[in-house]
Amino acid sequence: MMRVLCKIILQYYLKVITKIVLFVHHPMIIVIAGSVNKTFVRDEVKRVLHTREYRVRSNPKNFNTEIGLPLAILNIESGYNSYKRWVPAICAAMRAVFQKDFPECLVLELGVAKKGDMRYLLSLVSPHITIITDITQRYIESFSGMDRLVNEYAYLVKKTPQNGKVILNWDNERVRALQDVATAPVTFFGFAVENMGEHGKIEEISKDSNGINVSMCYKGEKKNIHIPRFGTHHAVAFLVGWIVLTEINNVRTK
Amino acid sequence: MFERTKNLNLSVIKQMEIRAHKYPDMISLAQGVPNFDTPSCIKRRVELALQKGVVAKYSLSPGLAELRELIEITLAKDHMFYDWEKEIIVTAGSIEGITATILAIANPGDEIIIPEPTYTSYREVIILAGCVPVFVPLDEENGWAFDCKKFAAAITPKTKAIFYCNPNNPTGTIYSREQLMELAKLAETHDLFLISDEVYKDFLFEEGQHIFSLAEVAKYRKRVIRLFSFSKSYAMTGWRVGYVHTDESVAQEIIKVHDALVTCAPVISQYAAMGALEMGESDVRMMNQAYKRRRDVICAHLDDLSHIFSYVRPESSYYVFPKILCDVPHHASDVHNDSVSWRFALWMLEQTQVVMVPGVAFGPNGEDHVRFSFGRSTKDINIAFARIKKFFEK
Repeated sequence: MMRVLCKIILQYYLKVITKIVLFVHHPMIIVIAGSVNKTFVRDEVKRVLHTREYRVRSNPKNFNTEIGLPLAILNIESGYNSYKRWVPAICAAMRAVFQKDFPECLVLELGVAKKGDMRYLLSLVSPHITIITDITQRYIESFSGMDRLVNEYAYLVKKTPQNGKVILNWDNERVRALQDVATAPVTFFGFAVENMGEHGKIEEISKDSNGINVSMCYKGEKKNIHIPRFGTHHAVAFLVGWIVLTEINNVRTK
Repeated sequence: MFERTKNLNLSVIKQMEIRAHKYPDMISLAQGVPNFDTPSCIKRRVELALQKGVVAKYSLSPGLAELRELIEITLAKDHMFYDWEKEIIVTAGSIEGITATILAIANPGDEIIIPEPTYTSYREVIILAGCVPVFVPLDEENGWAFDCKKFAAAITPKTKAIFYCNPNNPTGTIYSREQLMELAKLAETHDLFLISDEVYKDFLFEEGQHIFSLAEVAKYRKRVIRLFSFSKSYAMTGWRVGYVHTDESVAQEIIKVHDALVTCAPVISQYAAMGALEMGESDVRMMNQAYKRRRDVICAHLDDLSHIFSYVRPESSYYVFPKILCDVPHHASDVHNDSVSWRFALWMLEQTQVVMVPGVAFGPNGEDHVRFSFGRSTKDINIAFARIKKFFEK
């Protein structure tokens, strides 16, 4: 009982501080949601923004839920299950309001495990760019069907403003269908994307002992790259990073 | 009858535990079990999974997607790059991963080279698979290092793999990059697999230490099959969860056996493993510091008993493997009378009620040694050695 009460108070405190911090510093917010591969996309987006010398902050580990997300934004350590370890974290939260050189961009994973999670997370952050990687039956146990689970992501897409950007996985039928609820312009990525000119397409992947060789195109430009990692998700992450880098100025200037 | 099992032995460690059971004041430094409980952050993760009702069903055969993603990310921090979707399999402890691996890569009659002394169960799994274990002695004079010439001499047309534990159980040796690279070249020349059991890889006693793995070397990724278990690093021996990773071409064969053996690793334990990777880092550091202190304590005791034991100071794991220097009386009634290490372990059990593992359990080259585990508390270590010292003072 005590633990539950403490969690509610902590959650409320972190929410208030986070909203103040975002109001004061108003960073560009890029959110990544989906059942799998969020972390790989997050890390790639962060990497490409760093290459353009943006000051970027992203979730450490899997800090992507009602407590973890504020911690990520405020850049403070979790106290996990220790009351003692939460004390310095709570004090550090307040200091984030006055932080100099607050990041220009926040690249944040959003984790959805039960109904209403997305609504709560979006009461904390308002995304400028939304990326949805995939939707599978992961966490389906907490929802009364796939439609309810998809509704969480639909809410995120709807809440992305008209002058923002929504980036969706074409290859997943459920994700693709979210374009119908978007008010912001939509860009797709994937292997089977149609209308290559406008969207990002992975044309070919081959593997060697050092990683994968990927051929991809976006907005008429073609890239052949070598990624020193294994798995198609790294190709997808690279493509999404490319799209974000191309689109970020359009979103920022509006 | 029992053709497959007739050449298998009950683990010597278990045999010692069974014998020790009748001594009410016995202290066991035999089993490689951490005396710590599973960290609370891991238990909390499992409680949440139970509350959400997500543990009752099978997972996918290779394991929960979110766990494999985490494993890929964790491996990448150690410069090992593997695809969570196709190259990482969550197993029911490392021994299930070892069994699935050997059944997948070897055919009955194939030979598998094991540097020894090493973990007792390797031999049993190899025999169970219908293969032949070929022991190659480690060099005690050189800190229990590999001697690649001995490996080369042991290779025959039937050799399929070299199977080693790094850091090694029971010697606590960390094999150097140079030794491992030499071994890899040998494996390449003779087209062999390298099975690397790295369950003690988190037992780092020195600041900034990194244990090199051949799984870091891209050119060997089709040869190297690496295993890890959460049992030791996170005090989770009872949860039975670990993982194996290798190139897709090999992993996709191992998964067929894994699926046939266990369908999937216990899902509740997979959630525990997620908790370990997400939140267990500080607990691992805390436990390592404790093991380091205990290593120093046990080595100080062995120094005091330098007329009884000589030893190589362990660099990792929680074992020390001293050589027996004293004369050991014969025990005419016991079946293990021919073995000095068995006789010594039984003698100590009888006289001091301290349980240790006869070195011969870890291979022929382990004879004349015993293994002490410092996974037990400092208090237990001190009591055990006080008894041994008192006995030898008589």
